[in-house]
Amino acid sequence: MDELKNKKLLLVDDEKELLKTTEAVLRSEGFFNIYTAENCETALQIVKTQPVALMLLDVMLPDGDGFSLFAKLRQITSAPVIFLTAKGEAEDRIHGLGLGADDYIVKPFLMKELSLRILAVLRRTYQKSQQEPAFDLGARHIDLATATVRAEGKEQVFTAKEYMLLKKLYENQNRIVTNDALCMAAWGDAYYGYENTLMVHIRRIREKIEANPSSPKHLITVKGLGYKLVTDDE
Amino acid sequence: MNKTAFKIFVCFTFLSSFIATILLVINFLGFLFVGSDTTTQIHEQSPERMLEQISDSLETEEGGFALSDESLLADDCFCILIGENGNVLWSQNMPGDIPMHYSINDVARMTRWFLNDYPVYVRTRDEGLLVLGLPKKAVGKYAMAYSMEWFDSLPRRLISILVLNLLLAAVLALLIGSFFYRRITMLTNGMSELRQEKHVSLKEKGIFKELARNINDTSLAIHRKNAALSVRDHARTNWISGISHDVRTPLAVIMGNSQMLENEKELSEENKKRAAAITGQAVKIKKLVEDLNLISSLEYDMQPTDRKLVRLCPLIRETVSDILNSGLAAVHEVELDVKDEKMTVLADQSLLQRAIFNLINNSITHNPGGCQIQVQAYADGKDAHIYISDNGTGMPEEVIERLTDQGADMPRTAHGRGLFMANRIITVHGGSMHVHNENGCVVEMILPLA
Repeated sequence: MDELKNKKLLLVDDEKELLKTTEAVLRSEGFFNIYTAENCETALQIVKTQPVALMLLDVMLPDGDGFSLFAKLRQITSAPVIFLTAKGEAEDRIHGLGLGADDYIVKPFLMKELSLRILAVLRRTYQKSQQEPAFDLGARHIDLATATVRAEGKEQVFTAKEYMLLKKLYENQNRIVTNDALCMAAWGDAYYGYENTLMVHIRRIREKIEANPSSPKHLITVKGLGYKLVTDDE
Repeated sequence: MNKTAFKIFVCFTFLSSFIATILLVINFLGFLFVGSDTTTQIHEQSPERMLEQISDSLETEEGGFALSDESLLADDCFCILIGENGNVLWSQNMPGDIPMHYSINDVARMTRWFLNDYPVYVRTRDEGLLVLGLPKKAVGKYAMAYSMEWFDSLPRRLISILVLNLLLAAVLALLIGSFFYRRITMLTNGMSELRQEKHVSLKEKGIFKELARNINDTSLAIHRKNAALSVRDHARTNWISGISHDVRTPLAVIMGNSQMLENEKELSEENKKRAAAITGQAVKIKKLVEDLNLISSLEYDMQPTDRKLVRLCPLIRETVSDILNSGLAAVHEVELDVKDEKMTVLADQSLLQRAIFNLINNSITHNPGGCQIQVQAYADGKDAHIYISDNGTGMPEEVIERLTDQGADMPRTAHGRGLFMANRIITVHGGSMHVHNENGCVVEMILPLA
């Protein structure tokens, strides 16, 4: 994680006050290699001289808009870009993401949100071979890297579909994941009609991770909606 | 085919034929009435009548005849009595150019035509032929003779003339009518296009010139007005969008700083709480700005930009899950009953989610004591129905009234804004929303299926 916070960030915004605040916010969140620019020219200069890992661009700049700056920056570096904008209109958002930006954040934002989004983009870009997590559910240890569950010295392997479903549930742990989202994760866009198959797979997962599969404590059914993986240790 | 114009056309044709026939009958009767007056009036009585009176008052005297009342014979007329042998037996006022003897041929000629250019009328008596002569050129005489066949076929010919006349009238009416029909069709088309506020430009000529010009002018006026309205609406939307843009940047500075203060180790707990309050209020303003932008663009742009086929059931499940995941108090319960998994609507997914979210959120915020919320969805023929109902305190009547009032402006305060926005979203998607109180609040949304 700290390795990611070492990365060089470039902030481009014409509002001095906001530039200062955002920089302070990012520093307090643990980022320390931060460059700032108030206009396109400075931004281009910095990118030419520094190996910037991620750029946060305001859409409205004094000497051109962020979208065209983005196009110029792309010729120099392929570092990811997050648009930071005071415009919330859907068209702007679509335009920005359509150009190939990695994310789009509307001002004002919460510090936590900004830092999480930056980290998410950095992780996507620079930690391709990310370690799959492992976690405990009660007395059972689940390792997603090997797709196995270990309990009382016995080891069981998850099938491919079970693994995909469990991973999706784990990524959204303690939150309801709808049937649709689960089916989409396992069977892709044309998931319609797999609801019954989903139930079968959930039953198999329960048999592997629950002490008592008929009264599940970790993989909970939320009636009419979907399922929830409860990992809170109470 | 244009229905109104066609109706006018048919009525016109029938009416024309009817009028033509009526006129023909009336004229025929009138002609009969005028033409039948063959009783030529001489001194206010018909010659026949005069002759009859003369004959009655002609008395036999010894060796001759005499009128008992000489005033019966007008001065300019004359009267003679021709005996069996052709000689004049008696005469009165006889002009000099009248012969005293008549052969059978003379008699035959005179009874039919004239006697020396005097129009004459005859009457038979025992003594011979009584002849009344009128002044020259007083009467025209024409002999008419018709065969019996002519009389027999008269009704048939009269009817066929009537029918022919009717047909002719119908054909003429059709010809003239089709001309009017085209013009009227053009006008009625123009009118209906006018109602749809399309641009109308009709040819300004003929008898409907004035009407066509009025329609064209109205179209132009509507066009100008709409353009002005759209410019104003557009300006307003842009203004609101500009304002919200300008508010966002300082708000971002406020939020950034207040959040840093929240995390500042040197600050007392109390001051940290104050900073957190600033952040909380700034988040509220941020939401407000977003709502304002959305409402204003829904209000004036009216068309969701990002429409695609959306399956309703997964969308509802996702929205409800989001609400549950964001941490719902235990006193609130959301129950889901969605049928017809396959139903889809053409919609902007995030807007639709926003509408459903607002309605469920309404039930939650207006019933802090807790309530059961039911979300139902099913397809019915052409429409998808979504019900969101709760067993809470219900919706204030004035909020419901404002919602059903089409002309109502957006609510001035936050109160009812969520509902208003949901209504707008459903409306721009071509659907409708109905709210009533029944053991709580019941909101029904109807959307056309894709």
